[in-house]
Amino acid sequence: MRFEEELVELLPRLRRFARGLTQSASDADDLCQAAIERALKSREQWQQGTRLDSWMYRITRNLWIDDRRAASRRGVHAPIDDAVTQIAGDGIAEVEAGALRGDVDGAMARLPDEQREVVMLVLVEGYVYREAAEMLEVPIGTVTSRLARGRETLMHLLGEAA
Amino acid sequence: MSFDPATIAAYVDGELDDLTARRIEREAESDAALAAEIARHRALRAQLSAHFAPVADEPVPDRLRALLVGDRVDTSLSERREAKRARFAPAHWGAIAASLVLGLTLGLRPWAPAPDVTGANGVLIASAGLADALDTQLASNQPANADIRIALSFRDRQGRTCRIFEGRNLSGIGCRDDGRWALERTMGGHETGEYRQASSGELAATAAAMMAGDPFDAAAERAARDTGWNR
Repeated sequence: MRFEEELVELLPRLRRFARGLTQSASDADDLCQAAIERALKSREQWQQGTRLDSWMYRITRNLWIDDRRAASRRGVHAPIDDAVTQIAGDGIAEVEAGALRGDVDGAMARLPDEQREVVMLVLVEGYVYREAAEMLEVPIGTVTSRLARGRETLMHLLGEAA
Repeated sequence: MSFDPATIAAYVDGELDDLTARRIEREAESDAALAAEIARHRALRAQLSAHFAPVADEPVPDRLRALLVGDRVDTSLSERREAKRARFAPAHWGAIAASLVLGLTLGLRPWAPAPDVTGANGVLIASAGLADALDTQLASNQPANADIRIALSFRDRQGRTCRIFEGRNLSGIGCRDDGRWALERTMGGHETGEYRQASSGELAATAAAMMAGDPFDAAAERAARDTGWNR
């Protein structure tokens, strides 16, 4: 199948992933557009026979992180490292359990970026830990610990009976 | 509870080896706290999936698809195709097919073979050769010289069996509805002069947006045919 056709088939899922990362429909489509343009430009870097979806998710995620870092330098709040995460985590603990019952977007928005991306990849997109680790270029242990923290926060905010 | 939280999460995520997974399942039968913890994790997964699933069901915006389904080959041919496409945008094919149907059903072309398409209450319905192909042909096993080729079969979100077909004059997607094949999407076939590689890509993209689960493999397709394509 042609490269473009495979990409077209991926688009619905890629948009879902981008929506979860950016929390905004228009930002998500901007991100997808940037990712498609990047993929078309660097298509020779994709090796035929390897998974196009993993490659696309990685491109999308990296563009998103770049954008978040740039926003952070401009002074927009965007926790990206573990030290900042810890503070964000403490802040979350103050929110009453179940305060965001049913508000998945609100709960996801409170997750630090590196937890949100793992939650999206594993719990929504259904990738196994190893695949998520490869896409994010981190050890599997990092995936499981970020996932555990993200999960706890979400369950806390959304309430027990989800 | 003899399993740590990481193991319980790994169980729910399908990451445990079979042996450990079975141990957890056995223990959950008698350990209410463990069972509750598993249920809590499953509920979160289900809630997140349900929340984001509609995004993947939305039609992909044209501005994104256009990056991929347009002719991006830099040749003078592609420019000519572009010019042609401007005159015959894919969206017009439904109308062209409809007027063709009208012409045929009104008997304006008595010399033409039986029409492949008829209309009923504003819905295009496959008939004659097209209906036969949709009824009988398997994507996994069809003659190389078949007039109509079936590219893919799948189940849509309404539970109908749908099939992408490509023919000389007409290509599209037919869905089994009430014992007939309703044509959900039509465009020119590969001998209409308007056929582009992108056509099959567009049909595939449309199908992907309609699809529930994966496309049929050979066995699933055969099984669906053998039960008359019913839901």
